[in-house]
Amino acid sequence: MILQSIELNNFMCYYGENKFVFTEGINVIIGDNGYGKSKLYDAFYWVMYDRCFDTSKKEFRQTSHLKRLIVSDKACKEVVDGSVTTYVKLTFHDQIKDSVYIIERSYKIHKNGDEIREDKDSLQTIYKKDLAYLNAREVDDPFQIDQIKNLILPENIKPYMWFQGEQVESIIDFNKQDTLTQAINVLSNISRFDDIKELATSLNDNAAAELNRKVRSLSKDKGKSEQLELDRQTLIERTKGLQVQELQLKDSLAKAEENSELLINKLEEAQKIRQLEEKRKNIEKQLLEVIAELDQEHTSLHKKMFTNKWVLKGCEHLFEDYSKKYSDYDFNKLKKKAELQARIDAENAVLAELQTRLPIDVPEPIYVERMLEDEHCLVCDREAKKGSEAWNKINELLTRQTAKLQTLSPEDISTHNFSGDFKKLYQNGLGLQYSIGNVDKDIADTFKRQRRINNKRKNLHTELVAIESQIQNLISESGIGINEAKDLLSSYTIQNDYAKSYQRQVSDLENKIRNNHEKLKTIDEQLNSLVTGEIPRSLLSKVEVLKDFEHVATATRNRVFSQLVKMLEVEANHHYNDMTQSNLSARGIIKLKELSNGNFMPELVDSDGNVLLQLNTGNIILIKLATIMAIISARQGSRATDLYTLITDAPMSVFGEDYTIGFCKTVSKVYRQSIIMSKEFYRNENLRNELLNNPEITVGRVYMITPSIPETERSNRESLTTNIKALN
Amino acid sequence: MTKEEVLRSFLADPLFIEQCILKPGEADKIRWSDDKNNDFIKVIKIAIEGEVSKESKTVTARKINQLLG
Repeated sequence: MILQSIELNNFMCYYGENKFVFTEGINVIIGDNGYGKSKLYDAFYWVMYDRCFDTSKKEFRQTSHLKRLIVSDKACKEVVDGSVTTYVKLTFHDQIKDSVYIIERSYKIHKNGDEIREDKDSLQTIYKKDLAYLNAREVDDPFQIDQIKNLILPENIKPYMWFQGEQVESIIDFNKQDTLTQAINVLSNISRFDDIKELATSLNDNAAAELNRKVRSLSKDKGKSEQLELDRQTLIERTKGLQVQELQLKDSLAKAEENSELLINKLEEAQKIRQLEEKRKNIEKQLLEVIAELDQEHTSLHKKMFTNKWVLKGCEHLFEDYSKKYSDYDFNKLKKKAELQARIDAENAVLAELQTRLPIDVPEPIYVERMLEDEHCLVCDREAKKGSEAWNKINELLTRQTAKLQTLSPEDISTHNFSGDFKKLYQNGLGLQYSIGNVDKDIADTFKRQRRINNKRKNLHTELVAIESQIQNLISESGIGINEAKDLLSSYTIQNDYAKSYQRQVSDLENKIRNNHEKLKTIDEQLNSLVTGEIPRSLLSKVEVLKDFEHVATATRNRVFSQLVKMLEVEANHHYNDMTQSNLSARGIIKLKELSNGNFMPELVDSDGNVLLQLNTGNIILIKLATIMAIISARQGSRATDLYTLITDAPMSVFGEDYTIGFCKTVSKVYRQSIIMSKEFYRNENLRNELLNNPEITVGRVYMITPSIPETERSNRESLTTNIKALN
Repeated sequence: MTKEEVLRSFLADPLFIEQCILKPGEADKIRWSDDKNNDFIKVIKIAIEGEVSKESKTVTARKINQLLG
């Protein structure tokens, strides 16, 4: 079955009439985020299932909830008075029968000015052309409608064929142990073997019951036989109960073993994380201390400007200048003092000499004053003119009586004497000169110490960052949080104890079941011993054949399933390698590991068989996709592979551009037809060219979609349309 | 998987050799049309036929019971 086209009319951002035509191979719709890819996926889904994916609620919601949200805003705005019809039409072509199926869904709203009335529900119509060239006829028989829809995409296959990128994770849920088994059951032929096994069990049970009835009817002691039969039935019921318990316990055991194994694989990492965390704390403490020390050093740096007299740096010459000036001042002061002293000494000497020639007041002052007045010396009787040397000498006799011997006082040397202050200043300067001499060394020492502390801080910080990075890597690789790492050992012990306890319980149950089977065998022997006649050979033969049939049917089913798992493993690795060709970092080997309860779980191992734990989301998605593709490709040539079209929105968004081409090659090999919405080819032109030209990719039709208004510039959607451009 | 391939899967069980229904290696070559006069193989073929043709299990069971009756 090939999906030939989708037509959209006024559906969400697809205003007016829009059509995409598809062929076999990989069909790609390219568009950036917000360009309408998901709306196109919604359109496919809406036609088939009357639901669209609500990204805000992460669930599909029906038209009855979405209502006018399905209708193009532009179409809605343009109609003032009347109806707006939205429809989407899918055309499928069954190439074997050359018949065509058209599935259409429509929805209407009615406008009367600003008033909008919404239809309650959408309407689905299915048309069929028995031969492609004939006219289509509407199919109205509900049974036939279901048949057609089942032919297009059976409900149980839908999750593996139609999905959005964000749904991939849930297709194979690693947290649900039977998820892979379910996928294998749905997508493989194993269900045939399951059906035959079921038939064989039913036939065997009936034949055994028939034989039992016959045995009892031929009993020589019917009362005892009836009692034995009652015992047998009771035992069978008990055994069935025990078997149910055994299954449940095996499930629990498988989970506990899985958890235990996961934890034991994590223990080493947890130990490393714990050690690193201890180291980290220690370094963090040291770093805080060093930061505090550095802060203190910065603060004391400012204080040292004054306490260590750094402010005086460069003032050495001031003291030298001052010393010189002070020295000159002191010299001058001493010189002046000496000169003054000499003068006083000379005057005192004259006084002393005068005193030795004439005593004081001889002649008496009145006679001296008369001689001065008369300008005539009465002692030697000679003329002494005023102003002459003789007159002055006489006059000295008058002043001599007031002259006394003089001594030198500080006031004689200077009027304002600062010599004490100057000296003190000099002495202070002497002390400071020593400090100033040490300032450079002190500054150098201080900055050296700061650098040393800062280097220590940097080293500690670098070490801290490295350790934190190591911890983060370990956390992301192992998926163990720091708190979890602390509790991991106890968690492991708990899970291990659970596993051991379940194992013991399973063993006990197995013993009980074995004992019950022994008891049943004994009852059967007792019943047989009571038989008097002959049991028909045909019945015995029938019982024997059907017992063997049940045994073989069960063994065959298990063997085929194991072979299928091995084949899937090979196929999954093949696809995984194809998809990861361009990026070796994701390499590993997919292993489908069998659990205690018989279920399987995919895991990635390295070449030594060590499980690569806690892979990134991209890897996990690739493993899941590879496994799904393996299930599909393993049955290539069967109807299911050819019949259904893979429709997926943004499946590559989580694993990066390196894998895009590998994914497309694999998809084009595995699926006869696929329709993929992708943004990767929009952003990367080289990828786009490779998609269109790579001979290893069976490319179908490729379209580019662009909105009339970019999402960032939209204030509303009332003029929004979507442009579709075919690229090939 | 064709019904012949399904049949071969069943006949690959060691029980067929243990009970001397088949010789070693015979299961791989057996054809659907081969007429083996053995009720066990006939039962398996009826079951496979019924499964492949999507026959109801009741009908298939009745056919097998008739064969073994």
